[in-house]
Amino acid sequence: MVGDYPKSPKRRRDEDEDVVSPRKRSTSHTPPNGSPSFRLAERPRRYSREPSKDDERYYRDRRRPRSRSCSGTRSPSRSHSGSKSPSHHATPPPPKPTQLHYKQSMILRGHKKGVSSVNFSPDGRWIASSSADCTIKIWDATTGALEHTLEGHLAGVSTIAWSPDSKILASGSDDKSIRLWDVSTGLAHPTPFLGHHNYVYALAFSPKGNMLVSGSYDEAVFLWDVRAARVMRSLPAHSDPVGGVDFVCDGTLITSCSHDGLIRVWDTSTGQCLRTLVHEDNAPVTSVVFSPNGKYVLAWTLDNCIRLWNYIEGKGKCVKTYQGHRNEKFSLAGAFGTYGTEPPYEYAFIASGSEDGEIVLWDVSTKNVLQRLGGGHTDAVLSVDTHPTEKLIVSGGMDRTVRVWRETAAPPESGLEAVESTTVDGNGYDPDILPPNAFANT
Amino acid sequence: MNLSLVDPFVLAQDCPEVITGRLRSGHSTSIRFSHRGDLLASGRHDGIVVVFDIETNGVARKLRGHTRQIQSLSWSTNDRFLLSAGQDWKCVLWDLKDGSRVRTVRFESAIFIAELHPKNHMMFAAALFEDQPVLVDMSDELPKKHTLPTTPRRPPTDKNEKKAAQDAKQTTTVTVFTPSAEHILAGTNKGWLNIIDARTFELLHSYRPTNSLIVLIRMSQSGRDVVLNSSDRIIRTFVLPDLSDPKLDFNELQLTVQHKFQDLVQRLSWNHVTFSSAGDYVAATTYMNHHVYIWERGQGSLVKILEGTKEELSVVEWHPFRPFVAAIGVDSGRVWLWSILQPQRWSALAPDFVEVEENVEYIEKEDEFDIQPAEELHKRRLDQEDEEVDVLTVDPVKTSTQHEPGEFRMPVLLDIEASDSEDEIVAIGAGQFRRRSPGAGREYMNDDEVSVSADEARRTNGTSTTGTKRRRA
Repeated sequence: MVGDYPKSPKRRRDEDEDVVSPRKRSTSHTPPNGSPSFRLAERPRRYSREPSKDDERYYRDRRRPRSRSCSGTRSPSRSHSGSKSPSHHATPPPPKPTQLHYKQSMILRGHKKGVSSVNFSPDGRWIASSSADCTIKIWDATTGALEHTLEGHLAGVSTIAWSPDSKILASGSDDKSIRLWDVSTGLAHPTPFLGHHNYVYALAFSPKGNMLVSGSYDEAVFLWDVRAARVMRSLPAHSDPVGGVDFVCDGTLITSCSHDGLIRVWDTSTGQCLRTLVHEDNAPVTSVVFSPNGKYVLAWTLDNCIRLWNYIEGKGKCVKTYQGHRNEKFSLAGAFGTYGTEPPYEYAFIASGSEDGEIVLWDVSTKNVLQRLGGGHTDAVLSVDTHPTEKLIVSGGMDRTVRVWRETAAPPESGLEAVESTTVDGNGYDPDILPPNAFANT
Repeated sequence: MNLSLVDPFVLAQDCPEVITGRLRSGHSTSIRFSHRGDLLASGRHDGIVVVFDIETNGVARKLRGHTRQIQSLSWSTNDRFLLSAGQDWKCVLWDLKDGSRVRTVRFESAIFIAELHPKNHMMFAAALFEDQPVLVDMSDELPKKHTLPTTPRRPPTDKNEKKAAQDAKQTTTVTVFTPSAEHILAGTNKGWLNIIDARTFELLHSYRPTNSLIVLIRMSQSGRDVVLNSSDRIIRTFVLPDLSDPKLDFNELQLTVQHKFQDLVQRLSWNHVTFSSAGDYVAATTYMNHHVYIWERGQGSLVKILEGTKEELSVVEWHPFRPFVAAIGVDSGRVWLWSILQPQRWSALAPDFVEVEENVEYIEKEDEFDIQPAEELHKRRLDQEDEEVDVLTVDPVKTSTQHEPGEFRMPVLLDIEASDSEDEIVAIGAGQFRRRSPGAGREYMNDDEVSVSADEARRTNGTSTTGTKRRRA
């Protein structure tokens, strides 16, 4: 029986939230420390950690890094943008890199509260970041310029999702509504998606952009008809807040995960549960994504683990467990990225934030830590995304900043960290965490 | 990607069984699935063409340009262009990227059917009422109309004055392209099936399977199977030779009827026929009857009668690769959908659920309740995770609605109804009209209420036809 699973103590992101009555929230102009999901009042213990030298076994100079990644759109299309070397067969296979060298290249400031979610647009032009300060900001992914600030939600925004054509951004908020935004004008679509009874936690667009799946604190997963702004189907099978949802690359499957420890895989067309994945410990699952090819699901759990599940084989099986980050309290989210050269010498990594302010990159197959991006965020990193084509990572965290990290060709000199990163100040707001920036007014 | 998880017994079914849904936007008169199967175009009685999204059962696009009922619809192979033929004697080619009209072609008479060229969306073939069939080239602003032959090609031994005079009076009632686009199949009102070369417009072969009017010709996706609906209440299927074979001599060609489907007891006449996705089945709707008949072509036996509607059905269409049938109800103008009902498998809801036929005695494993240190268990589990995983390589999928990069993808329009600039007028009684109130556009959700207006339209239509009949008598 489903109910026979040992219940884990429910840990929610807002256990000790100072409750603000909805009426009060709506009347106040500056929303109170309103988002229950990302409190800044209680900050987790920080501890700095030296990058471990264990993984630094031998570094060999990599070939020209080819730009490709699969997150963001999670599209299966494997566009061969790089030029193939003519003597492809003669050359021995390039060695698999054991390290990555991402360096901080931009700091995007402007959010007044913690950043809950960051995403590259599928066309790679924009970065969208959502925050507990009820706004969503859209930044240029190359220059870091603030393009739009989307205001309209009455409570903190927990999740955002790009439509596959990069023209629409969907946002889910603690005001229980989902809104669509026109990215070119920065205006909200007049009809919000209403139907959830509690905070909207997770969103994902279908690969065609005609459907949107949402997961909420009210334990429901809704499938929306984007055109008509109505609920097409509700998938009822979680008994705790739904932490994450995702569409598979061809749109035929939906996955959802919940704090009850279950990951479910659904058939989009019939709305039936096709598979349930559960780990013995039954730890709350806060976030889930399909792998770029759709054969695996990757799930974040509040026991400091990220697990890769093969949901097809047998009854579903956990094939990899990634550890080395800290995740006990927040809903962290991450993404798949790629490194190495062209296929077949292209490898996948997993990027995730950590509650100690680092970003950890793991190799998918070996589970080795490829890099720890430290020295950037000063608080928990809640969301990490990889660029669809370039070697870029964007991260957002509790320290109110969005940071962009770029892969450098050469290994970084030791001791120097993020000295040449440019800071982009969103709206002149001066956060107390980081020193003011000289380039802010240019 | 869901195929690996779905019950194989469900996947093995290739014939729809139960009504799984219905679509509604106005009074539908003609429907057609897109080639990728994710969209269904529906031509309405008021001349509006509505494109439904099969996945959401919602309206994806509304195209306005016709003033009369839509007679036939045809998709381009990349699903970007849609050709609609209306009873206002014109054909419109729509670009679904922005919903614009690419070309409008006017005719001097009513259009029976207009079919787009499979390889060139700027060409189409049309069968016209009491006129010669045409192949229209729309590449220029001014469309070029090439007349196609109608007079059947008879062997020299079979020629005489009387027959020539008869043949001259024939008209073509239906034209379809073969999937290779090299030939056009045409049916005439005297029961001739003509094979016409699509480039030279030369009539290559004629065959007369029946003496009565050919209502519809449909070809399977392979182009080797033809189904023919004629007004003598018999549906005939043929197997064509490979027409593009250069060694094929059309003079020697002998077509034979493979199957004749008919209802000998009730003498039902058939409204519309279609092939299933692979051509294994033939589905037909019946005149004055509420059923969809499905025959399989191996033995030629009737395998299923789809029921559930309380109205006569007109156009029936089979999804390009799924066991999914759509048919229009004549009275309500709804589109009814039949498919397979998938039962929820309870074993999917938890990993330790097992579906068993009968009670099984559980035998506990030797170490099942042994207490092991959690640390060690955890470590052992991590050590076992040594397999190589590939999260990047995508398996090629055979049949799916998945889009290749660079393929056309119809943009998603938000709030279709509100974006309509024209006011919609709803008939609320005899001669009484009111404007549709804002937000009432989603008639497919509360369709029972709006079906009144559709019935109204149907009734007026019916009286007008009976009127003409009486005059003729």
